[in-house]
Amino acid sequence: MRCLLVVASLLLGNAWPVLAAEVTVHLDDGRGHAVSDAVVMLIPDAAPAAAAAPPAPATHVVDQRDETFVPYVQLLRPGDEVVFRNSDSTRHHVYSFAAIRTFEFVLRPGESSPALVMDKSGIAAVGCNIHDHMITYLFVSAVPAIALSGGDGNATIGHLAPGRYTAHVWHPQLHPGHPQPSQSVTIGGDADIGHLDFTLSLMPDPRMFMDREHLDY
Amino acid sequence: MRRRIFLCCLLGLYVPAGLAQDFKLHAWLDGRLVAAPAETSWTHGGLGKTRFGGGGVDARFGGAGVVGTAQFTPALMALASVQWQDTDYATLDTIEAYLRYRPVSLSRWRWSLQAGAFLPPISLENDAIGWTSSWTLTPSAINSWVGEELRATGAEGRLEWRGDDASWELRSALFQRNDPAGNLLAVRGWSLSDLTYGLGSRLHEPDAVVRRNGGQPPGRYDPFQNIGHRSGWYANLDWRTSVGGRLSLMRYDNRADPAAHSDSGVFAWHTWFWSLGASADTGPIRWIAQAMDGATVIEPVDGLQFETRFRSAFLLAGWNRGAWRPALRIEHFSTRELAAAVGTGQGEHGNAVTAALNWRPRDWLRLSAEVLRIDSVRKQRVEAGLAPASAVTQVQLGVRLIY
Repeated sequence: MRCLLVVASLLLGNAWPVLAAEVTVHLDDGRGHAVSDAVVMLIPDAAPAAAAAPPAPATHVVDQRDETFVPYVQLLRPGDEVVFRNSDSTRHHVYSFAAIRTFEFVLRPGESSPALVMDKSGIAAVGCNIHDHMITYLFVSAVPAIALSGGDGNATIGHLAPGRYTAHVWHPQLHPGHPQPSQSVTIGGDADIGHLDFTLSLMPDPRMFMDREHLDY
Repeated sequence: MRRRIFLCCLLGLYVPAGLAQDFKLHAWLDGRLVAAPAETSWTHGGLGKTRFGGGGVDARFGGAGVVGTAQFTPALMALASVQWQDTDYATLDTIEAYLRYRPVSLSRWRWSLQAGAFLPPISLENDAIGWTSSWTLTPSAINSWVGEELRATGAEGRLEWRGDDASWELRSALFQRNDPAGNLLAVRGWSLSDLTYGLGSRLHEPDAVVRRNGGQPPGRYDPFQNIGHRSGWYANLDWRTSVGGRLSLMRYDNRADPAAHSDSGVFAWHTWFWSLGASADTGPIRWIAQAMDGATVIEPVDGLQFETRFRSAFLLAGWNRGAWRPALRIEHFSTRELAAAVGTGQGEHGNAVTAALNWRPRDWLRLSAEVLRIDSVRKQRVEAGLAPASAVTQVQLGVRLIY
């Protein structure tokens, strides 16, 4: 039995080489604050030998809580679906006039929208026509090596093949018209661990969180 | 009857509650400890420019109010803001009440229409509940006057263009019921006061002016009434950048007939002005600047017009430190009566400095401390037996509960 397991492991290893290399990217705002909701993409400088099969389409949920979209940025692959859920006790009118997809949903409290297929790459800013201070972004990309930074400002991209990559960063509050932040990183072996640091100059947060003093009608 | 139904609709009372899918209520209650200047405040018939006067240190009622909104459909909203004040006399009045229709737009352009009674979009300071300022207790001279005498009762159209880097908004309104606007700047001059007047309230004229005109104080008038049959207008162009910058330009003209007067003797004042505002953020510092330049004309006798020019400007720097928000504002104001109009020349000029510290230890609680210093010269003070020059300081500690 033990022999069978060893043989099977070798066979599987030959068929699907384990890529344990990864790159961790840390993002801060230059004032010691971690930057969350930044999209990090690793683009190989040379074309990969064989394109990996795209993952199966997934369905993502963008919630609305306390008149705030959660999350602020949602990553999607082309073909993925997004559902907007209203967890507030008030109505929302979700809409977008983005070039990649226009849509609108009126959602009563507790209601969810039908699944919306996002089949084009690009960025869709999504708002609420009743509450103008609400905004979220759908980032649709076919780039295989992609991740979103968390609350600690870290984004980790794993399963990388050896080679030289360029890391690109996008965030909703980057200054429009400025060059997209990017850095190069080289993965020498299957188990390499790379690390990059980005300091982003961000514009003010466009979201106005619920505040009793500022009514924003 | 039609007018009554219209007003009821504005207040959200005519539509049965069950039809409105979203109701919201907000409220505030404000109390102060005030070290007032000795000069009698204009709110009590004097010529003092601050809200409180008469000297001494006393607890004062700052005001209380309720803001209610009803979202009847995804595109149709009603808002009414009602307040209770007792600084001049006890009054329950309506600051704003309007219906807004704003359909969703799946393009960069969006339009909306608003009808009712509302404040012209002049102030860049008064962004808090009940049209108060989140930076100071006392708004600038410009926005004090806006809260006292300006209210548009009519319809306003908005057209927005929403770009990636910046957005533009053009707002224009046709309105009535604001024909006495400008009277206060002519007969009293500028003030620095957070006493916003609403529909149903009466403004206090200086006792010296009432006596000069042969009346018996107190003299009060309704600034929100029709005198004559003309409609006024304003147009406002607003530019906002994604980095937090804003530029706003407005032209206002109430087109009142300066020769018209009501049965009770209140004259219409033809008032027009330009207003320019800008705001920007440099790190945690918010900069707000506004300027206003205009004139108001009255024609009490055929062919004899009295014209008062007015102008003011301020610069405010507010430090957004989260729960703590200190702010400093400097400003200048002046009025000038054309020499041909009034022989005595009742104009004024002055400067003011406001320093405030705000603390929000809880979402529902705001504590404020404010020192306001005003230096001004107004010849009208001589009529009341005062020196024309005045230098006053008002100190306030404020507690505001917000629901």
